[in-house]
Amino acid sequence: MASALPDPSQPALSVVSARGVVKRYGSTVALAGLDADIGPGITGLLGSNGAGKTTFISLVLGLRSRDAGELTVLGHDPATAGIEVRSRMGYAPEHHDLPAELAATDLVRHLSEMHLLPQRAAVQRANDALWLVGLGEERFRPVGTMSTGQRQRVKLASAIAHDPEVVLLDEPTDGLDPMQRTEMLDLIRRIGTEFGMHIVISSHHLEEVERICDAVVIVEGGEVVRAGTLADLRRGPAGLVVEVDERADELASILRARGYNITVEGDVLLLGGEDGVHDAVRDGVADLGIGLRRLGTRGRTLEDVYMGGAT
Amino acid sequence: MSVGQDARLFDLGYRAYDGPRERPARAILTLALFTMRRVLGLGRGGRHKVLPAITLAIAYLPALTSVAFSVLANNIVATDLITYGDYMFIIGSALALFAALVAPEALCPDRRSGMLGLYLAGPLDRNRYLLAKGLGVLAVMLLITVGPLLFMLAANVIAGFGPSAGETPKLLLRIAAAGLVTALLYTSLSMAVSSFTTRRAAAAVAVVLLLLVPASVVRPAIDAGAPNALDLLSFPFVVFDLSYRIFGEQPGDDAPVRELATWVVAAGVGAAIAAGALVCWIRYRRIEAFR
Repeated sequence: MASALPDPSQPALSVVSARGVVKRYGSTVALAGLDADIGPGITGLLGSNGAGKTTFISLVLGLRSRDAGELTVLGHDPATAGIEVRSRMGYAPEHHDLPAELAATDLVRHLSEMHLLPQRAAVQRANDALWLVGLGEERFRPVGTMSTGQRQRVKLASAIAHDPEVVLLDEPTDGLDPMQRTEMLDLIRRIGTEFGMHIVISSHHLEEVERICDAVVIVEGGEVVRAGTLADLRRGPAGLVVEVDERADELASILRARGYNITVEGDVLLLGGEDGVHDAVRDGVADLGIGLRRLGTRGRTLEDVYMGGAT
Repeated sequence: MSVGQDARLFDLGYRAYDGPRERPARAILTLALFTMRRVLGLGRGGRHKVLPAITLAIAYLPALTSVAFSVLANNIVATDLITYGDYMFIIGSALALFAALVAPEALCPDRRSGMLGLYLAGPLDRNRYLLAKGLGVLAVMLLITVGPLLFMLAANVIAGFGPSAGETPKLLLRIAAAGLVTALLYTSLSMAVSSFTTRRAAAAVAVVLLLLVPASVVRPAIDAGAPNALDLLSFPFVVFDLSYRIFGEQPGDDAPVRELATWVVAAGVGAAIAAGALVCWIRYRRIEAFR
């Protein structure tokens, strides 16, 4: 039932499950044995441009055929049960090209009917969805006269109006200014948490994914390099924070000479969590004869996780 | 100030949909109807209605003229009126114009605007998408291949020039057959051409060229000794000739394909319809809908 909120007492269902998925375009390997499990809630599909995110989404939708591997979406193989899978999904593409002369409400209603809502329900839900995304007053405007931010909202309304179980959003904040981006992310978070829809959001913006997602799948070079809930991925120290009273640059040089990666921010040094790093800091401070103001661990950010996995 | 003037709705809330859903095949009908409305300019601005309206006017004008003639003129007999076979020939230019207008409008913008990807991300696959588009285009083409003939038949009956009661069902069948074959041919060829470009204007020009150029080239070639079967490439003339034969009428003496047997003409039209559909299908197997 699309509308049912996930029951936390039940074992988590797999919304998307991929095992060894391979996709080639001629001699170019877009996905090289991708393994991923996307569960309920909001999942970020993170990766640089060309990492394979859009190819993976196209396979999830059953719009392209994979060359090898297994893929199930809501328990079905999209390659053989594409219509069944897609009728339970909503999708907002990355591109902003929509029929210019169609009013937003006509476009959303039409796409809702295409997703098998009866005509009357499609009219009602198209209006509801456009109100929800903040375009209630603008719903009769032709899409071609709308700003990029408004078109992004129209696409989001189209993706959710038919009340799908899974919503795929491909770069939903592309082209938005900071204010619009914040509003869009809040809206997506609300849809994912309050409306019972599982959301997969493709993005190359770390901060967006970190802000609204429950889980992350990091894709690089057509493979998953990190995956899990944000809480799990950020668990554990990312390294040390060292603050000295003077000569921070010299301490950094000593530590770099011993093979440690260091970021210097004023008198503060940020180090990785490699073995022996505590001893190295102790020795360095002693050699320089400087005071140590602070020595502590720092939590991992998604950027730490991403850089650790993507490099 | 009236009570409630400052009242505002801050959150209309979200309601999940637990009502009935249509079967996946319904998406085909939905898209076909949407395509019909779109190409006829319904629900769109006035400029989108101009060309369909002009073309429909051209198609129905001979029927209106014939009806007016039969009602207003004195001492006329049935043979003075336009025949059904002649009608298809007379509206040939409207047919070509309509074909050049309808299929490009139905197919090209979807690929240009990315709507094709949105459609295919729903409960449609490429075959169902093409079926829906084909049904939409065909239905619109039938408006001018069958519509005017039915109108003329009704008017003739009212004016006393209609067929006998026994002949009427047979004539209705002939109108349906001739109209359907003609509409199928124009639909198939124009959709095949439209599958090669995302630009409506380019597709429209190409459709007109496909309909006119072979027709103007093959006759000199046959006169120069090429086989008569080459006339089958004169698509408009072939289907007009088949219409004449369906109505049991004789085309003019200079009609290009009158030397060919009926089964050859029918097979030629069928082959052209199949070829157009096949080209379109193959093209859409290869078109990148996802971007």
